[in-house]
Amino acid sequence: MKVIEAKIVVLGSQGVGKTSLVVRYIGKMFSKHISPTIGASFFTCNISVGDTRVKLQVWDTAGQERFRSMAPMYYRNANAALLVFDITSVASFNAIKGWVKELQSNVPEEMVMSVVGNKCDLHECRAVPYSEATAYAASIGAAYCETSALHDQNIEQVFLNTATSLLTLSATNSTMKSYDSADDERNNGSPTEHSDVTAKVELPSYNTSDGVAYGELQRNMCC
Amino acid sequence: MLFGANLQRSYKYMNFASKMPSLRIDQNDLKCKNGCDYYGNPQWQGYCSKCHREQMLRQRRAEKASSNPSATLPRPEQKKPERGTKQASHSSFSKFEEKRLRQSETLAKKANLLKFSVFKKSSTDDHDHSERRAPEFKVPPMVNEGMKRDFRTRFPTLGAETDRDARVFVHSFIMDVMKCANVMSVDELSERVQRLYQRFMKHMDTSQHFAHVDSDTKELLMDFVEKHAMNYLHDLPSVVFSPSGTDDERLDRAMSERIQQLSWVGERHLECKLDRRHAACRQLLYKAISELLGMDSASSPGGKLTRVRRCCRHVLALCGAPASADDLLPALIFTVLKANPPRLVSNINFVTRFCNAQRLMTGEGGYYFTNLCCAVSFIENLTAESLNMDKKEFDCYMSMPASIGGSAWAAALSLCGASREAEEQREAAQRLLQDARNMSERAAALHADAVCFQEQIAKKVEDVLAKTPLEIKPRRELPRLCKSKTAIVTPLIDLELNPTPAEPQTAITEESRPLVGYTVPSEDNSQSSQPTIADPVPNVEKDSITDRINNTDTVQPASSIHELEHTNTAKQGTQETEPKLNILGFEVIEKPSPPKSPQNLDQTWQLKQTSSLELLTPSPLGFTPFDSRSIDELMTPDEFGSDSLAPGLSNINYDIDLSDFSGDNSVAEDPPKEAKDPFSPEGLKKAFDPFAPQPTASTFKEVLDKFDEFSLTDNKTNRTFDPFDVIHRNDPFSPERKEGSSILDDSDSPTTACLLPSPLQPQSSNKP
Repeated sequence: MKVIEAKIVVLGSQGVGKTSLVVRYIGKMFSKHISPTIGASFFTCNISVGDTRVKLQVWDTAGQERFRSMAPMYYRNANAALLVFDITSVASFNAIKGWVKELQSNVPEEMVMSVVGNKCDLHECRAVPYSEATAYAASIGAAYCETSALHDQNIEQVFLNTATSLLTLSATNSTMKSYDSADDERNNGSPTEHSDVTAKVELPSYNTSDGVAYGELQRNMCC
Repeated sequence: MLFGANLQRSYKYMNFASKMPSLRIDQNDLKCKNGCDYYGNPQWQGYCSKCHREQMLRQRRAEKASSNPSATLPRPEQKKPERGTKQASHSSFSKFEEKRLRQSETLAKKANLLKFSVFKKSSTDDHDHSERRAPEFKVPPMVNEGMKRDFRTRFPTLGAETDRDARVFVHSFIMDVMKCANVMSVDELSERVQRLYQRFMKHMDTSQHFAHVDSDTKELLMDFVEKHAMNYLHDLPSVVFSPSGTDDERLDRAMSERIQQLSWVGERHLECKLDRRHAACRQLLYKAISELLGMDSASSPGGKLTRVRRCCRHVLALCGAPASADDLLPALIFTVLKANPPRLVSNINFVTRFCNAQRLMTGEGGYYFTNLCCAVSFIENLTAESLNMDKKEFDCYMSMPASIGGSAWAAALSLCGASREAEEQREAAQRLLQDARNMSERAAALHADAVCFQEQIAKKVEDVLAKTPLEIKPRRELPRLCKSKTAIVTPLIDLELNPTPAEPQTAITEESRPLVGYTVPSEDNSQSSQPTIADPVPNVEKDSITDRINNTDTVQPASSIHELEHTNTAKQGTQETEPKLNILGFEVIEKPSPPKSPQNLDQTWQLKQTSSLELLTPSPLGFTPFDSRSIDELMTPDEFGSDSLAPGLSNINYDIDLSDFSGDNSVAEDPPKEAKDPFSPEGLKKAFDPFAPQPTASTFKEVLDKFDEFSLTDNKTNRTFDPFDVIHRNDPFSPERKEGSSILDDSDSPTTACLLPSPLQPQSSNKP
């Protein structure tokens, strides 16, 4: 089985729900036992796309403005970026644009970017139109997805899309670490403590087909 | 031009030629150019290794002098003539330098941690440095051995080839780094190291030695290799850790000062949710800080990363779950501020430069390390805006002496440390208390055992005493016997002696008195004249001989009659009815000894006893006297006259008889025994009770027969010497007694063994 290792950095202004997004995703994976010591700031998960396993390392970043200058350290060597903004805040959307510019100038390697409009449950007070966001995402060659960490909508989809894109990217990009793995049990020697739940993490893989439909449905509903 | 060139060449030649003739090189030419009395080496531009190194350092320092004015690296020309060898001096010198640098770098707060690291290094330093300074650098075998051992424990499933490959790689890695360390800048070195890592990774991917190894194990192998290579290199000063040519050390100091200055920064400035009043919170922070401080003591990048990871886990726990990066980073910054880890910048640079980049970019360790880097960079660039506070206020805080700020948290943390220490102390105290309790319990048990043991022993002793009451009296007879013999000469003494024994012996004394009474007449004989001493016995012997003759000549009955007559004649002296012949014989025997021993003899006897004290039991009781006497006689025959010897011998034999019978004592045999020892109380008592002699009269004849026979033989051999005859008579006596009972017993009895000394008689016989 082919294995791709990728590093995803989650960027976005403070308060857009990066952490909620991640926590929701982790919470879903580790619903049985969420240990207080497992920080939401860093986690790894394995997503199977077809016959390939994508090993994602998700790096959360501090969103506070004063830590803005440290961001390069986080997104260095990242293969993918989740650009999260709040659909009720134009400022957060504009911040995304700044992040994208920064990434484009600072990261020489090609990377998968996903624009995520969070808090789609608050579509009554939407400030960033869906069309604008989609258009922007298309302009930078990124996928766009609207999620709700509160209602747990589309979050899996975001990660799944990213994994799929990473897979296609890995075909052309040599920087990403990919190797063939003979055995399916990869629990031993995995660098993180989350490796023991890989089986559960792979849950999203089988509802690939209907997951997309669900996402679209959701999108239609909220937009 | 041509000329010039020629000239130049000729000069060169001349110069060369002028040096050529002297094939001998002066010793001074071999010495260090610095004149430090060590030998130089062309490889080091004619300097000795030490001076060359100093020279190099000076050069390097000159290069970066502008950028790094505060560097305090080696002072030039530091001569220490007392040093023994070059290598040792270097190792100690560099060690000293290293130590000094460290000490200058560190705060008193972390002194213990640092000491530990210094100590750890110093254990390997001597070896490493000497190796490093040697002209051809060699990786100490220690590294190899350590790797071998570690590999076996970590990768027990992997084959020997992988092990060998890994070690070869580490070896070449270290060699390469050492080679390049002096030539390359740090960044170049870092790149080279990274390339080396990649090469090993590639090697693992391509080599068939690693074909069966999966990727995770390969990563572990990579870590393993990195760890061992860097472990060694880390300890070498200024090679990979805060290398020369960088201003890491200066930055360390600057960072330390900066953190000290920022000690006033509290949790509210950083907007992190910490509560110093909460014990759990304090505890976690304390743990995180100690992990962060531990980073300096780890010597491999991987080890440092592990410490950082652990630290961050504590910080995450501090933030509450599930903590996001928004919480983590401020809390981590706060931790770093409170910890003020030693050589922070050096450590971070070391990890970023020489850690396997793959590891650093990805993984949890990488993530946390990135956070730490962010924290450090935040602290470096901390401004009023970044703390969301007024610029004036910030400046005010910054101008404040460092000792004032942050007292609350410092107090809280020191409280935490103190409480922790107190807890440890309490545990230790409890352990000690428990130990003491156990000890006292055991002591009590021991005491109980001792008491029990004492009781048991007492009981046993009582039992034994009850079973075998200590009846010394019968044995006391023996000494008394001898004394009585001596007393025979002086009856007064005998009388004195008799009362001294216990009451039960009164009967015996009664018995003995008659004997004394009997002896008195014999004494008279003895006193009459010396020659007469022998007379009584010869008389008896003559009688016996005559008896024998009679026996041989006449018929048995006649002989018996004769013997009876003889007994009658023997009894003449006895006022009381002495039923047994034995007593008669006994008396007869005794007679000779006393006569020979007048008052003087008493003394000699005593002397004998005293002399025997050393060899034998001192007590005058029991069998000891007979032993002692016999031995005394054997040992010191010359001390006493031939006269004195004889009584001793006779006495001995008596003792043997007594012992013999006491040993053979059995109720069945009592009647015959009665006869044998008139002096033993039992025998005497029994002699009283029945009139045993009359029934045994017929047997007495036989006894007498044998007795006669023996006496005859004695006569033949010993030429009828009184004492020996007597002895022989004594010997036969006992068997004769037993003949009535059983001969076998006699042979078995120890007395027969005691009788063996009889062969010694010839000696004694010869002496007289």
